[in-house]
Amino acid sequence: MIGLERAEQIECDFPELVRRYQAMVFSLAWHFLHDRAVAEEVAQEVFFSLHRNLGSIRSPAHAAFWLRKVTAQRAIDEDRRRRRRPQVALADVPEPAAKASAADPLLGETLRRLVATLAEVPRMVVILRYQEDLEPSEIAELLEIPVATVKSHLQRSLSLLREKLARRGMGER
Amino acid sequence: MDWLELELKRALAPRDPPPGFADRILGRKPGFHARRWMAAAAAVIVIASAGYGYRWRQGLEAKRQVMLAVRIVALKTSHIQAQVKELTR
Repeated sequence: MIGLERAEQIECDFPELVRRYQAMVFSLAWHFLHDRAVAEEVAQEVFFSLHRNLGSIRSPAHAAFWLRKVTAQRAIDEDRRRRRRPQVALADVPEPAAKASAADPLLGETLRRLVATLAEVPRMVVILRYQEDLEPSEIAELLEIPVATVKSHLQRSLSLLREKLARRGMGER
Repeated sequence: MDWLELELKRALAPRDPPPGFADRILGRKPGFHARRWMAAAAAVIVIASAGYGYRWRQGLEAKRQVMLAVRIVALKTSHIQAQVKELTR
C-alpha cells in the first residue's frame, strides 16, 4: 500500500521530471550522437522508458542517475545500431581562419565535433565528465566500468583532443 | 582544470531541447497508447460477447421450436393411433 502511494506520488511528478531533466537527457544524446533529430528520438525513448519504470524510482536524485545511465546506454546502442560515424569526418572539420580567442564559438563547435569522433566509451566518459561535471567514480558507476579505465579514457581523450586542436592552430593559449 | 577542460565544459554545456519537446513526451506517454489498445480490446470483447449471446439466444429459440414441433408430431401421432384402433375394433 505504501509502495503504491509512493508510485502514485512519483507518477504525479513525471511532468516535473521531464521538465527538470529534459536538457540533460537531450544534451547527453546530442553531444554523443552529434545529430539533433536522432538525439531527440533517443531522449524521447529514454523518458518513455522512465515512465514505464516509475515504480522503481526512489527519488528525483535516483531519477537523475537512472536517466544518465539509460541515456548513455541508449545513445551507445543507437550509435552501434546505425553503424555510422559523425556526419562530418575529422578531416572535414573546418580549419580556423584565425587563431581562436577565448569563448570562441568556432573553438566550441570544433571541440564538439572532435569529441564526436572519439570512440564510444571514451566519448561518453568525456561528455559525462564535462557536460554533467561528474567525478570519475560516478562515471564508473554509471557505465559499469572500473574507475581506472575512466581515468585512462579521460587522459587519452584529452591528449588526443589537444593534439588535434594544435594541428588546427587552436592549441594552448 | 586547464584551458582545454574549461573549453570542454563550455562546449559541452547542456542545451535546451527543441521547442515543445516536453509537451510531445507528455502528450504521448506510452500509457496513452496502452490505454487506447486496451479500450479497443475491451470493445472487441464486448462486441464478440454480444454476438455470442445473440447466437446463444437464437439457438435456444431454435431448440424450443424443435421441441414444440416434436410434441405436436407426438400428439398427432397418438391421435392417429387412437383413430386407427377405433376403426379396427
